[in-house]
Amino acid sequence: MNEASPAPVETDPYLVEGWDARAPRPGLSKATRRRARLVAEALFTDDDGPPPPARLDWLETDLADFFGHLALRARFIFWICVTSTYVLAPLVFGRFTSFGRLPRSERVHALEAFERTPLSLALLGAKAILSIVYFEHPDAARAIGWDQGCKRP
Amino acid sequence: MQAPVSEVVEGHDHRGAVTLSADVVVVGSGAGGMVAATILAESGLDVLVLEEGRNVPAAIHGKLRQSQSLRHLWREGGMTLAVGVGATPGVNVTMGTGVGGSSLVTGGVCLRVPEAILAPWSRALGLSELTPEGMDPYYREVEEAVHVEQVPVEMQSRSTELFGIGAAKLGHPIRPIGRNTKGCNGCGRCNFGCPEQAKMSVDLAYLPRLLAAGGRVWSDCLVERVIHRNGRATGVRGRLRNGPGRTRGSRVTVHARVVIVACGGIHSPVLLSASGLASVGGQVGRNMTLHPGFRVFATFDEPVRGWRGALQSAYTDAFEHEHVTLMSLFIPGSVIAATMPGAGPALMRRAKELPHIAMFGAMVHDEGPGTVWRNPFAREPVVTYRMSPSDRRAMYRGIRLVGETFLAAGAKQLYLPVLGIDGPFDADGFRRFELEKVPPRRIECSSQHPLGSIQMGAVASASGVDPDGRLWDTDNVFLCDGSVIPTSLGVNPQLTIMAMATRIAQKLRERFRRIAA
Repeated sequence: MNEASPAPVETDPYLVEGWDARAPRPGLSKATRRRARLVAEALFTDDDGPPPPARLDWLETDLADFFGHLALRARFIFWICVTSTYVLAPLVFGRFTSFGRLPRSERVHALEAFERTPLSLALLGAKAILSIVYFEHPDAARAIGWDQGCKRP
Repeated sequence: MQAPVSEVVEGHDHRGAVTLSADVVVVGSGAGGMVAATILAESGLDVLVLEEGRNVPAAIHGKLRQSQSLRHLWREGGMTLAVGVGATPGVNVTMGTGVGGSSLVTGGVCLRVPEAILAPWSRALGLSELTPEGMDPYYREVEEAVHVEQVPVEMQSRSTELFGIGAAKLGHPIRPIGRNTKGCNGCGRCNFGCPEQAKMSVDLAYLPRLLAAGGRVWSDCLVERVIHRNGRATGVRGRLRNGPGRTRGSRVTVHARVVIVACGGIHSPVLLSASGLASVGGQVGRNMTLHPGFRVFATFDEPVRGWRGALQSAYTDAFEHEHVTLMSLFIPGSVIAATMPGAGPALMRRAKELPHIAMFGAMVHDEGPGTVWRNPFAREPVVTYRMSPSDRRAMYRGIRLVGETFLAAGAKQLYLPVLGIDGPFDADGFRRFELEKVPPRRIECSSQHPLGSIQMGAVASASGVDPDGRLWDTDNVFLCDGSVIPTSLGVNPQLTIMAMATRIAQKLRERFRRIAA
């Protein structure tokens, strides 16, 4: 899973033919994008290692577009989910530092520990949106066997 | 059967303030509003529909990835939460937005209200016309308009077939459901706007009729107030979403003789409350039910690929006496992966089981209630929900029933909707697991059916609207959406919302001159 695969985007993936699908505003701050990327990197690390950087770049861009379409409250909810995961997961795991400063191997364990606490709804919120976007990347979808085929070809 | 898109006025492209007039202004273009607007326009009235969301033409749906549909067609990207009060889970409430409303994102299930639910409406609530016989002509009209057909067995997904095998073994066989489809290919994507234009959502089944009859539709138009004086509405006012970043921009004022509010179970109370029209009886925004839903995943040795087939195709009401309906469904692989426990390699190994996963849902025929609280500082309200003890019992029972049924079909493992548990259960583990002792707040719960927040009733002190859908506070404001449904239904409400809207609009049409005078 470490091979560098090209992002499946044209020059502008949000210009759907005949319709403007671009986000009308920036969706996430740089800090939230960076935190979301670090959480995603840990979440989607598999036995072969973390996802390729190009795929995380794609995730970050698409995530920003996702929230660029949404009103303040949805963006705030995501910010709360990502930030509380970023801040609290290391503490729950017994490390008094931020998520970004943990060694990569410990980030996964920190998320697992956080998921077992009563605050896991915050992680679920972040995990849900990150997964919904991440697994739409063709390489990520292929890796989990999601072909999105129809019953009647 | 693509709608003539050019005739929907895109509010975000309009420059400057606008003042319009109409016989009837309809706020909201979903299953209730679009149906009522069409019936009134076809009777010769000048009808204007104002929709807060965008106009995403049906032909575009197939060009969007599922998460793109989420950001364009789902209110708040699907992130709306009803806050659980007391021993109640938080409930993720999903609603559509855009021309077509939630009909764009339903699974297409069209079921009539069971007679056992309908009977008390006429007996106990005094809604004497809402009997099975009284509702039949409205149901028939809608069923024809949206092409309700039974899902053929061959269009069931393997996931549903497997559940059906288990259900038959346990003596509660599943039954096919009706859906509003024409030429469904079984892509399992109904919740994200049908890519084939095969789901007869109201933008396909009613919008062309509305436009042909001279009706007008404006998208990107947020109505903020119903204007009224001395118990009569004179129109509505709001803002176009043509400001920077599609925020609130130019002012919109509409003068109308009749106002129909059809913003859905959560946002209709917000509009009425903001307009000072929630006083008579004090019931607006209260008594909301949600049909809380729970999913169980099961892994099988054989490949299942549950996304191939009709998203929803079968159900069983064998447990209605326990307030539980079991309903087939499948969610995108990305969402399944999101709800798998764990992180890193453990999560990814589980996500790779996706092709072997089957899924079925349990829906609680709930008592609730929930309450919609208007947020004076922002558009989206705060929604709270409290489960009754009976709802909680039904919640645990529904999860158990789905699990046992999958095990009877030969499932290897079960993933339960419980936050913070380590992994899947085998049969022994599931039976040993004290599910009923899990705090409700740790149960993953979702809802697609906010209903009854402005209930219809015969008595003003105990309801929000009269038996003809008229708001008790006024002579000429009508409600046409899920908010008027008098009780929880126990089945998907889309068809009933459309039938009720048909009835309200037809009665309004008959008495329009008098009401508008």
